[in-house]
Amino acid sequence: MTHPYVRLLEQITRVGGVRGAMLVVADDGLVVAESLMVGIRGAAIAALAASLTRRFAMVTKTSTVGELGFLHLQGEDGTLAIVPAPTGVLVVAVGGSDMNVGLARLEMLRIAEVAR
Amino acid sequence: MRRTRAVEAWTVEPLDRFVGETGARLTLLMTPAGQVLAQQGFTRAVDVMASAALGAAIFSSTGAIARMLGEREFRALNHQGRQYGVFLGALDAPRGKLLVLVVYGPDSSLGLVQLFFADLAEQLVVAAPEPEERHGPILAADFERELDESLASLFGR
Amino acid sequence: MVRELQAMAALFERDPGSLVFLELGEELRRMGRLESGVRVALTGLEWHPSLAEAHDLYARILVDIGDLDRAREVWMRVLERHPRHVGALKGLGFLSFWDGDVDTALDRLETALGVDPTDYTVVQALMTVRAAVEASEPASEEVAVDSVFGGFEGADEGMLLVSDRGRVLGGRLRGRDAEDVSEEAAAYLSGAAQEAERTSRMLGLGAWRWMVAEAADGNVHVSSPDPETLLLVVRDRSVPAGRLAVVAERAGHAARSWLETSRP
Repeated sequence: MTHPYVRLLEQITRVGGVRGAMLVVADDGLVVAESLMVGIRGAAIAALAASLTRRFAMVTKTSTVGELGFLHLQGEDGTLAIVPAPTGVLVVAVGGSDMNVGLARLEMLRIAEVAR
Repeated sequence: MRRTRAVEAWTVEPLDRFVGETGARLTLLMTPAGQVLAQQGFTRAVDVMASAALGAAIFSSTGAIARMLGEREFRALNHQGRQYGVFLGALDAPRGKLLVLVVYGPDSSLGLVQLFFADLAEQLVVAAPEPEERHGPILAADFERELDESLASLFGR
Repeated sequence: MVRELQAMAALFERDPGSLVFLELGEELRRMGRLESGVRVALTGLEWHPSLAEAHDLYARILVDIGDLDRAREVWMRVLERHPRHVGALKGLGFLSFWDGDVDTALDRLETALGVDPTDYTVVQALMTVRAAVEASEPASEEVAVDSVFGGFEGADEGMLLVSDRGRVLGGRLRGRDAEDVSEEAAAYLSGAAQEAERTSRMLGLGAWRWMVAEAADGNVHVSSPDPETLLLVVRDRSVPAGRLAVVAERAGHAARSWLETSRP
């Protein structure tokens, strides 16, 4: 039986260009649930997404723009998007450079609300 | 810069890289018997000896629990404190099993430590020399001498 | 603390070759018991002549005594053997600042920040030096803000060009109460960019191009106009992320032009 969190994550992976989505414990950088295409390293995404969020949160804090709500890293060949949920969980999506970030963001924000 | 101090030079590069990637505060590479091969971050010999002994004891005692559960052993353990975490992982090197004890702070995470521990294990296996043949029984006096030599290497004494 | 100090002193007396001298010496220095600190540090150095941390401790005590020349010599020797030793870089940065050689001080401290971007004492030291530079040269800073991003809206409050070692090259960032937070943001920016580079590399995302963050009270855009610089653009939530990207793109062009003309 598929875990309810995985079903939620599949709403993100249906978005164009998304190759995987996961829930990650922000402090530990560990996977809670994942829905990934074959060959995607979930543990690496979780650890690095958590570390990037922590580092970038220092920038937003010193820039006095308040709590981080959405982070988007764009590479030449791919995309990483992160939504920190208030519960200490990160909703993470990874995809190609063609990923529909706007739509993925909406789904991620919705799941972050549910993950409360 | 925090530097790895090693009894065996082949351990330095992989450990330096591991510490650089994870931001680990303390790292100890040792045998399951508690013999230290390299350390990074410790400033007192007494802490290294105590940590190595405790790390080896933890690995040994959880090994007993693993066997009770029908597992051969646990490959990694983690203890999480409010600020610091302790990770203890095992790897198979050409000369036998080695343990790595890592203390990490709030600027790192268990996920990062686990991620780069896999790389560390691979690099140590590649870097490790072939085991030497050991002739004759191991004497208590030899052990004491080896321990003294190890501490001298680890702390530049 | 006194009890801990006594315990450390007893351990040191029993085993003068123990590395407890590092903690003991530092504690004595903090308490202002500098003569005792020197004795402990020198004894430690006799046992551990190649231990960089021991030389670093001795140099710090020398600074407190006021013997800056000898402290400089000691740290220089450490740096010869360990060019990326954070303690020596920080110490020499402090001494250069003391001598009024701000450029060398910034160079040392920025190198230290490159070695360990998470060391808050380095960030603090950098902020102190930069604040002093700013206070003494307000006119030149105005030139930097105008010359990099002249004509850009918000260039003096939400746009920052930073070297990859966390040094402000142009622009300015202001906090909620209009205070200047440029230096602090710049210091953390280099750590975030290093993390972005590692994440992109390890996840196969290719070279990282930019990051954008939406926060409660504003949006933040980070990019790298060239391999040695970072650009931070901050706007309030009324500027959507897409428009922020356009502003950042134009600011990036301006930064590249400025870098081309200002580099030797």
